[in-house]
Amino acid sequence: MLHPRIIPNLLIHKKGLVKTVNFKNPKYVGDPLNAVKIFNEKSVDELIVTDIDASVKGDEPDYELIEKIAMECRMPLCYGGGITNAKQAKEIFRLGVEKISISSAAINNPSIIPEIAESVGSQSVVIVLDVKKKFFSNGYDIFTHNGTKKTGLDPVKFIRKIQNTGVGEIVINSIDQDGSMKGYDYKIIDDVRETTSLPMTVLGGAGSLDDLGNLIKKYSIIGAGAGSLFVFKGKYRAVLINYPNQKEKIELIETFMV
Amino acid sequence: MIGVIDYGLGNIRAFSNIYKSFDIPHRIITQKHELSGIEKIILPGVGAFDDAMKKFNTSGMRNTVEKMVFENKIPILGVCVGLQMLGNSSDEGVEEGLGWIDANVKVLDTEKVSHSTKLPHMGWNTINIINKEELLFNGIHDKKRFYFLHSYYFDCNHEEDILTLTNYGFNFASSAKKGNIYGVQFHPEKSLENGEKLLFNFAKI
Amino acid sequence: MMNNKTIKYQVCTNCVMDTSDSKITFDDKGVCDHCITFYNDIEPKWDTGDKGHKELEKIVEKIKNQGKNKDFDCIMGMSGGVDSSYLLYMMKEKYDLRPLVFHVDAGWNSQIAVNNIERLVDGLGLDLFTEVIDWEEMKDLQLAYFKSGVPHIDSPQDHAFFATMYKFASKHKIKTILTGGNYSTECIRNPIEWMYYQSDSTQLLDIHKKFGSIPLNNFPVTNILWHKIYLPYIRKIKTYRPLDYIPYIKEDAMNLLVQKFGYQEYPQKHFESRFTKFYESYWLPERFGYDTRKVQYSSLIVTNQMTRKDALLKLQNKPYDTETIKNDFEYISNKLSIDVSELKKYFQMPKKTYKDYKSQELIYNLGAIGMRMLGLEKGGKR
Repeated sequence: MLHPRIIPNLLIHKKGLVKTVNFKNPKYVGDPLNAVKIFNEKSVDELIVTDIDASVKGDEPDYELIEKIAMECRMPLCYGGGITNAKQAKEIFRLGVEKISISSAAINNPSIIPEIAESVGSQSVVIVLDVKKKFFSNGYDIFTHNGTKKTGLDPVKFIRKIQNTGVGEIVINSIDQDGSMKGYDYKIIDDVRETTSLPMTVLGGAGSLDDLGNLIKKYSIIGAGAGSLFVFKGKYRAVLINYPNQKEKIELIETFMV
Repeated sequence: MIGVIDYGLGNIRAFSNIYKSFDIPHRIITQKHELSGIEKIILPGVGAFDDAMKKFNTSGMRNTVEKMVFENKIPILGVCVGLQMLGNSSDEGVEEGLGWIDANVKVLDTEKVSHSTKLPHMGWNTINIINKEELLFNGIHDKKRFYFLHSYYFDCNHEEDILTLTNYGFNFASSAKKGNIYGVQFHPEKSLENGEKLLFNFAKI
Repeated sequence: MMNNKTIKYQVCTNCVMDTSDSKITFDDKGVCDHCITFYNDIEPKWDTGDKGHKELEKIVEKIKNQGKNKDFDCIMGMSGGVDSSYLLYMMKEKYDLRPLVFHVDAGWNSQIAVNNIERLVDGLGLDLFTEVIDWEEMKDLQLAYFKSGVPHIDSPQDHAFFATMYKFASKHKIKTILTGGNYSTECIRNPIEWMYYQSDSTQLLDIHKKFGSIPLNNFPVTNILWHKIYLPYIRKIKTYRPLDYIPYIKEDAMNLLVQKFGYQEYPQKHFESRFTKFYESYWLPERFGYDTRKVQYSSLIVTNQMTRKDALLKLQNKPYDTETIKNDFEYISNKLSIDVSELKKYFQMPKKTYKDYKSQELIYNLGAIGMRMLGLEKGGKR
């Protein structure tokens, strides 16, 4: 039987691994390469690695780092950050990466989705939407540039618009819940799940294995992403890479998946 | 010497990284003359069937590979779309397959799949090994997981060509074999230890 | 400096230390000074029976009293290694202490180490603190050490650990430091010639000044005057080695950890850190002829945990795994963002010693003499 994917989310800032809270105050948590190695040895299902500087600075992707990271991953790797055209995507694939994620590039120019999909296949194109609750209503806004630029776009409407243009996967990242370890934002997850049957991964808020379990219980096949959960330990948020071992993972999935 | 065919599709690096870590000599093949001295071939593939067939057919390597497979009995392992290419045809497109294993590629029947994302079949799923003696799966226990990412499957016309079955709403062939021709629907280059073992086994066949 | 090649080879008749320690001396029975120091200075005062046990209880009482109404009564570092893990277990479960447990992530953690730390901390219901060393600075400092040509290239990791330990103790106003150092497996120490004092910040800063390329802004640096005088005598922070007061057999400790906590055994010594493994099993013996196994086995020999015969047999094999060494070279080079050829270049360059760079050796020597005169330290590095 197919199992849901449990996915660590790594952010790279100034060449170092960082964790944020509400997309702010990046805290240094170590060498990204060592973290990737350890996750690989822990046999994680999949990895998401995002360079949070690239879009903001308009830099080219750090191909050297990408190559090193890809070399360590014996499981699927999704890389994002600063990708704006098919040429960059192709080069990243050439270095051994399976999926590339785009966010602001897709929002500013949705036609880039079919362009990249044609070149590398839609299964490899992941759209990441950083979302935040609106102040005065029930809706959500899509943000870009590390949660600093409000686009005025509604995630559900945007997904409806692009979902058949070559998208392989949607990643919903809750800015409100980021780093809080207080649980996922189910409202937006429900809304998006209702809107599209594309593969979906959610990020932002996972604070315990039970949080992952409850997500799996509700949606069975979904990507359960987490950043803080797999990088911090305990009430003092000590930096210690962790991930359920095979036995714990199977137990978790079998307990929660109906 | 293992030859990993680079005709434009597939995670070539991932295969190379694995063989490098095992110190198993391998070469990335982009032109037919590089096939000289190759003892085993890996045919990767991602994306659409037609795109893969077109690229492989125009790569200049098809004839040489075919000759090596049929005349010299060189073992070949098709991966993901690479497996599908070994079949006669695919519902996904109009191109003709290689026809090296009698099978047709069809869209996965997801009638019994209850969750929202019916296609593609993406994630870690188990394989049921039919013939426990098969060397490709040496040391890999039954019910081990591999990473899948596909919407079409390899529908073998002959049951004896099926090596493993996987369940996704129904049981489909997750790997197949005919003589020296092998194919796996999942991605061994991205299936952690199990995948590494399989690629290692293929090198030793 | 004496050239090893001009010394006639001699090995101790009691342990396995030999003239690769250029300062070694032998008595008329061919027994080395390491053994003699152990038998004369350490063993007589080392009690792991009733006396030791009572002494430890007294120490624990004091720690508890001093820690009343505080969040923690002592501080312990966790590397994921057997000694520190076993110590943590003992002090929490058997002696009921409330340690602040910290771990220093210098970028070289192996998965097994990280996993073991998690298992211990979870299993004992303790909260962990970590100090993450800025990897770009660590990388640069590490390369500086390679370029300096000295043997003690593992100093950056060790120094960061000590500096962090003192920093945490000071910050959280903790009066007692507990370490996993023990006579049982470490009574014979690595000669200073092989591993110079890692806490010597003068040496570290001089090597960085000469060969480093980025400033050390975040890297924790300690100071011998601070941690050997201010902290112990002004702030009254004391350091104890509890494993010296109780019977400590490493193999038994390992088995207990495996059974109680699901601790994973390390395939090789020092595998908690990929760098330390490379350093001790390859760099030090192959480049300098300093095989730390001789030190480890000798400690086990004088404490009757290993026979000299077994030690000599083991020493016949290479200290590193010949099959994986190429991978290790690539791994280390890759991590340090250099080519394998550059690492090989450092391997071949002229050998230097700690004397070629500035140091606080004089202070260490004066201190050691003083301590010994006061009977405060038994044995020690030389």
